[in-house]
Order: sequence, then C-alpha cells, then structure tokens
Amino acid sequence: MQQSEGMTIIVKTATRITVWIILLYGIYIIFHGHLSPGGGFGGGVIIALAFLNVMLAYGRKYTNNWLNIGFLQDVEASSALMFLVLGILGISLGGAFLANFMYKGKLFDLISSGTILPLNIIIGIKVGMSLFLVVWALAATNSEKGD
Amino acid sequence: MLVYILCFGLFLVGIYGVIVKRDLVKIILALGIQGYAVNLMIVLFGYRNGSIYPILAKGKEPVPMVDPLPQALVLTSIVIELGTTALIVALAIKLFEKYGTFDITKIRRLSG
Repeated sequence: MQQSEGMTIIVKTATRITVWIILLYGIYIIFHGHLSPGGGFGGGVIIALAFLNVMLAYGRKYTNNWLNIGFLQDVEASSALMFLVLGILGISLGGAFLANFMYKGKLFDLISSGTILPLNIIIGIKVGMSLFLVVWALAATNSEKGD
Repeated sequence: MLVYILCFGLFLVGIYGVIVKRDLVKIILALGIQGYAVNLMIVLFGYRNGSIYPILAKGKEPVPMVDPLPQALVLTSIVIELGTTALIVALAIKLFEKYGTFDITKIRRLSG
C-alpha cells in the first residue's frame, strides 16, 4: 500500500496531459447548462474527478503541495453564501426569492438565461470542491490493521 | 407494467444484499442498488411512448416530450444519495480502523 508514492510514470504522464482537458470539459458543461444536458452538478463532478485523477496518480502528499487545500475549503464553504446572496438580490430587485434581475438576452445564446448561469457556476464550484474534499478527507485515514 | 415489475425485482436484489451479505462493502453496494432501482422507476413514470428528450434545441420543431419533472426529482435524489453514501463510507472506514475487518459478525463489541 504505497499510497503516498503514487503510480507509475506512464500514469503520471497521461494524467499530466489530460487533467487540463478534463477541467476544460467540466467548465464547458457548467457554462452550457441552460442550453444542453449537464449543468452545475454534472460539471462540478467532472471538475472534482480531474482533481481526484491527480490525487490517484501522484499521491496525496503531492496534491497537498500542488493545491491550496485550505483555500479550497474556504471557497467550498462560501459558495453556499454566494447562492444565498443571489437569492436575496432576487427579492430586492426582482420581487421574489431567486427571481431573475439580469439581462435575458436572445434565445439559444450563451447569455440567454439571466441568473441561471451564475447560479450554475456557483453550484459547480460547490459540488466540485465538496466532492473532491470528501474523497481527500477519506483518503487521509491509514489502512493499517486496527487495534 | 413489466418494466415496473423489473424495477421492483432490482429493488429486491438490493434488499437481499443488505440482509444476507456480511461484508460492509457489499452492504453499501446493495444500498446503492436499492437507490438506483427507485430512481429508475421514478424516471419510467414520466416516460411517454414516441416522444423525445425535454430539451428545446435550435432549429427543431417542438414535438411531444417526456415529462421532465421526475428527472429533476431524480437528480436531487442522486445528490442526496451521494451524500448519504459518503457518510456510510466514512463510518465504515472508522469501523475498519477500530476492528481491522469489514465482517459484521466480528464487529460486536459495543464499547471499549
């Protein structure tokens, strides 16, 4: 169980090339959530899987150096507050909780959904960071025999 | 009607795993199978024969679509299932740290 050492050099090289492509695909899914299947949850899961790919290939210690885990925890905790702020802005500007107050745009354009796009981005950040941090925290336990 | 009976059969497979199996990992997988069976049944409730997915795309004529409400409900259900599965896995890891096994017949000390 050499978990901190990481995997072989083939896996490491393939991960180094593909992790940015996977991240870009997750961002694409988030930004087109109101036009095509996907959205905040699906794109967030893909972003979390990109980070988990690095953690599986390079080991947990390298990931701790590469990513600022404390900052990710702060982002994950504050994204729920950002969602609430957008909802309350909907009360003050639009009349009801989560009501639309932004420019609606033209149908089938990228900017065509008002506040759905920012809400999708916030949900994607929340889901991606929390899913990554859950597996990161579960990987911290040593798998030696108990007692 | 047959698809609903098959969904119920899949649910029974999950119940069988939870009751009969002794490995904690297999019990967690069986709980997942139960959740998938229920989700599949809810999605099948909204199915209409000869209709398409409920997405309005550019340059397409509006035709009859399947009901999108069960799909949104199932998406929420999947998210909650993910959270509960993470909690169960964390508890199983804690049990493994304490007892060194996943066999539930050997996890029998209540204290100490």
